[in-house]
Amino acid sequence: MTEEMSLDSYLAQGGVLTNPMNVPPRYRAELMKLMTTFVDSELAGAAGFADVINAGPGIKERIAAAKIVLEKTDNANRVLKVMGEFGVDGDRYANHHPWTARLDRDADIGASRTDHDMRLAVFNYPLNGWSDAVVMNLLMGRAVAVQMAEFSMVSYQPLAEAFRAIAPIEARHAELAEEGLTKLVEGGNADGLQASVDYWWPRVAASFGAADSTKADSLKKMGLRKSTNAELRTRWEAEAKTVLDKLGLKAG
Amino acid sequence: MARFHDLEVTDIHKTIRDAVVVTLKPVNGAAEEFDFTQGQYLTFRQDFDGEELRRSYSICAGKDEGILQVGIKRVDGGAFSTWANEELKVGDTLQAMPPMGGFFTALDAANEKQYLGFAGGSGITPVLSILKTTLAQEPNSTFTLVYANKGVNTIMFREELEDLKNTYMGRFNVIHVLEADAQEIDLFTGLVTEEKCAQLFKTGWIDITSVDTAFICGPEPMMLGIASALRAHGLDDAQIKFELFASSQPGRAKKKAVSKDAASGANQATAAITLDGSTQTIQMPKDETILDAALAGNMDAPYACKAGVCSTCRCRVLEGEVEMVANHALEDYEVEKGYVLSCQSYPVTDNVVVDFDQ
Repeated sequence: MTEEMSLDSYLAQGGVLTNPMNVPPRYRAELMKLMTTFVDSELAGAAGFADVINAGPGIKERIAAAKIVLEKTDNANRVLKVMGEFGVDGDRYANHHPWTARLDRDADIGASRTDHDMRLAVFNYPLNGWSDAVVMNLLMGRAVAVQMAEFSMVSYQPLAEAFRAIAPIEARHAELAEEGLTKLVEGGNADGLQASVDYWWPRVAASFGAADSTKADSLKKMGLRKSTNAELRTRWEAEAKTVLDKLGLKAG
Repeated sequence: MARFHDLEVTDIHKTIRDAVVVTLKPVNGAAEEFDFTQGQYLTFRQDFDGEELRRSYSICAGKDEGILQVGIKRVDGGAFSTWANEELKVGDTLQAMPPMGGFFTALDAANEKQYLGFAGGSGITPVLSILKTTLAQEPNSTFTLVYANKGVNTIMFREELEDLKNTYMGRFNVIHVLEADAQEIDLFTGLVTEEKCAQLFKTGWIDITSVDTAFICGPEPMMLGIASALRAHGLDDAQIKFELFASSQPGRAKKKAVSKDAASGANQATAAITLDGSTQTIQMPKDETILDAALAGNMDAPYACKAGVCSTCRCRVLEGEVEMVANHALEDYEVEKGYVLSCQSYPVTDNVVVDFDQ
């Protein structure tokens, strides 16, 4: 009962934190970064996808796209609520930035972020019509699945629980994308679809972050990461490739 | 954002020598805000020598008792808990934020579940709230509590737990594990460690194979040991709910030291910035933010929105003065302690010392 243990060693041994009061400053900062990255990516992703709803070729597709927009916004809100316990004003946060803003399709920003939000680099590129959006959604959807599996184990319990609730919803988005892409493949235009795969593949791959991240160790000690960027990317590459193979498309 | 409300102390009594149970009544029509879920906590604030201190304490009342009650155990050197134990009295007003926390699972009268709770010392408070509510609302569920304490005389809510055993005969069981006092059964003496849990499972005191959900609240080493025993016996992370209790809350903050050499007019400032244990001294113009200066110095300073909204970039000013032009995230008490949003803060004095590690 009276044994003393530092929070650092508690975390390094797999302990979890449960409320803002017992979160140390550097942990708080990394946790906030993790949360803002997710929220910004979901809000930017939903905003970009909203523009594509009307491009859906049929009512089923438009329903699927609208559902994805709704649910991604809702998922952002779940994590915003966790941020709220740290004093963040969620309403203000959700409106502090133009989430529809995009760079040029040819902009080359690697894995870097823009100055004013933390969305993953991939969400800075514009979608180019319906089939391009479906391809992006499939590749990114598979990436999110890998990331959700990782982040459902973070050491901040309220966030881990939010991600556990979000994971199956995001997984369904990737399934919808796969159904959509199957339909598009059956309809022909394999070249156009392959061009979209070639465009998005390296950009989604880059969203896993640099392979030589110097942060990996300290994040691991805080229990905010289990796997390295490279391990997650490799996992995604294998899974996404299997799906593309099935559809007769080539991975990048 | 959550705000503080006034609560009146309507009852206060000792449960053991150095722990009080405080009953609170929201005033000014805030009752609805304090409609809690079992296992949640309240965050209080109180001034001590002109400095605001915040402390969280778990609600120990069950949902169906119709009262709001927290248990506060005195910790050595703890300003708030000592004050609550020695000076707080009926009729006093406390300020608290509405209940927060996710240390619970959804209840359903139709459930037939087996719950397992582990509590260490004052970690009993949220677990008590959970077990009382669960037993009342799920007539077909059972609850087993493993309760670790130093000795018999430090067991909080001991009589109340005995009463609950009688009320919910056959559905509620308590195993007291005492560190110092010998008991009839050897297994119930010592610390609740991973090995102790494994023995409790092996000897049949706890049927781990039928457990649906486990709740753990106690000190860090105890939580780690129990969690790893549970995982080794087939529970997954979604079935294990943790609440890390108050021992780990940061201690009292020191006053910020203001360096006496005031601004001298030139546009340049010297900033000593500490991050991850190392300090860099950076020359920077006074029209640049602390965050940008740190980033320009190749420091991996944390930030996200750069708009003063998210508070990721929070740091603490130890010396000198900065001007924070926008702040939508930090609360007054944090600002008083010297915390600033580095993305919104410009040096005013020629020398500033800031720390991202505090």
